[in-house]
Amino acid sequence: MASSEASGRRRSLLAGGLLLAMWAALVASYGTFASYAVRFLFPARRRDPSWTYVLDAKSLPVGQALQYITPDGAKITLARQGSGQAAEDFVALSSVCPHLGCQVSWEGQNNRFFCPCHNGVFAPDGTGVSGPPGDAGQSLPKYSVKIQNGLVYLDVPQADGLAQVELRQIDESERIVGPGHDPCLMADLDRDQDRRFS
Amino acid sequence: MSVAEWFSERLPVRGSDLRELTNEPVPNHLRRWWYALGGTPAYLFVVQIVTGILLAFYYQPSAETAYESVRYITEQAHFGWYVRSVHKWGATLMVAAVILHQMRVYFTGAYRKPREINWMVGMCMLVCTLLIGFTGYALVYEQLSYWGATVAANIADTVPIAGPWIKQFLLAGDTYNARTLSRFFVLHAAVMPALMILLIIIHIAIIRLQGVTEFHFEDEKSGEPDHFNFFPDHLMTEIIMGLILMVLLSVLATVLPATMGPVADPLNTPEVIKPEWFLYVTFRWLKLFSITTAVLSMGFIVFTFFLWPFIDAWVRRRWPKSEFSVYVGILGVLAIIGLTVWEGAVAH
Ligand code: HEM
Ligand code: FES
Repeated sequence: MASSEASGRRRSLLAGGLLLAMWAALVASYGTFASYAVRFLFPARRRDPSWTYVLDAKSLPVGQALQYITPDGAKITLARQGSGQAAEDFVALSSVCPHLGCQVSWEGQNNRFFCPCHNGVFAPDGTGVSGPPGDAGQSLPKYSVKIQNGLVYLDVPQADGLAQVELRQIDESERIVGPGHDPCLMADLDRDQDRRFS
Repeated sequence: MSVAEWFSERLPVRGSDLRELTNEPVPNHLRRWWYALGGTPAYLFVVQIVTGILLAFYYQPSAETAYESVRYITEQAHFGWYVRSVHKWGATLMVAAVILHQMRVYFTGAYRKPREINWMVGMCMLVCTLLIGFTGYALVYEQLSYWGATVAANIADTVPIAGPWIKQFLLAGDTYNARTLSRFFVLHAAVMPALMILLIIIHIAIIRLQGVTEFHFEDEKSGEPDHFNFFPDHLMTEIIMGLILMVLLSVLATVLPATMGPVADPLNTPEVIKPEWFLYVTFRWLKLFSITTAVLSMGFIVFTFFLWPFIDAWVRRRWPKSEFSVYVGILGVLAIIGLTVWEGAVAH
């Protein structure tokens, strides 16, 4: 009698355990599926170094800048600040405002980057100076520059599976004046060009 | 064997069952339009689904093709201008209808026990409607679509903890990129409408289980029946409202058709960024405070509103005679109108 009661208890314990295991398995399997689904929704990224060729160092005079857009939508201003052939003579800054993401533009006459959305101001090296980014201590993110055999490379995020795979220069014809711009030098340059064309 | 018999052998449903199922008695006060507003967003939602499916036949959700495909719909496709304009005005009217319906429920206290859950379902539908409107606006890929989406994602980014995830989820990256638009399209045309349908089913199921709150007015004669039949009487009311809405939508679509703004330019932030009118409140609020304060206070207000039936019940238990909820409601409506007009009137 006592033994059958004990075995009955054992059996119901077993049943309870099985039920629990079943629920655990259900939660675990659907949970796994859900976590895959969530993970799927965030794009995969390659994190190996991705130096991307941009241009011949010689083709960008001091004080000028070019704008690029990467495959995954990042916008970069590449400017030449020194006349040397080293990475330090170039600076590559994101032109996306760290405040709310508006497009930042270089204002040569004021020697600053300016964001029109909430009057954000950045120094030539990208440090936030005033407006919301300055108040919050935000700067324009920097991209690493590398020079090899006189060619300039940028470290930009890669984006697989997109139609556009390369760094694209925006508006080839239009070269904007960038940070490090030196009016005297520019005057020289203009004179050079005048001479060349006259 | 008759056709009717053939079917009834296979589908054991009787006409009387169907009649019973559809014949919810409707209280008399639903003859007044202010109380029958709930049917309006439902009707408009159907209009949005029909016109939305039509648009989806030509719309191409990628940065290279979206703008051109909307231009094709607007300028070349047969009646494309009409379909697109009805979709656009339908969205506007739907937001307005949801808000009016909610105001009716609020000011008549119809959210009180036992209807708290349905109020919360309703709040989810309001948020859902606003999100569908927002994601739809982003699909056109005009300047304001692009920059509106960018700014909104960055605002989401400032939400503590979850913010960066929300932004990544919305944009499929750190910035607006080639993967972003298809995401907005799936959210706009599949995920959110499916969610909306689910919410509508729950909403209506709860209404049928509880019945609507009954109101009585002085001018009602006593002794007359105080209910009428859903079918066909109330359905007739809804059909008439549907026809009126169709006329209204067609007039609006013809007189003020949807236009095309300048195409999105990722390198050029427009001087003036504005969302759709129904987000003016939020936008003005964001400009009034520092971003974190604005986002957190906004979340707090929406959450309070979400839980309003319980807050209201607590207040009424302590001060049974107070008209607290009415004053809060009037304040809320004035604030919404004030902030919307303010944002609409100024450039920055
Ligand atoms: C509550 C429901 C809905 C609302 C409030 C809504 C709202 C909007 C809005 C505001 C736009 C931008 C209109 C413009 O500026 O032209 C839009 C565009 C669009 N919607 Fe919807 N929508 C809804 C449902 C749907 C559904 C169910 C589909 C498809 C199955 C759909 C497909 C589209 C497409 C393809 C566009 C882009 C074409 C265009 O802008 O003309 N929508 N929607
Ligand atoms: S987005 Fe640049 S200052 Fe606000």
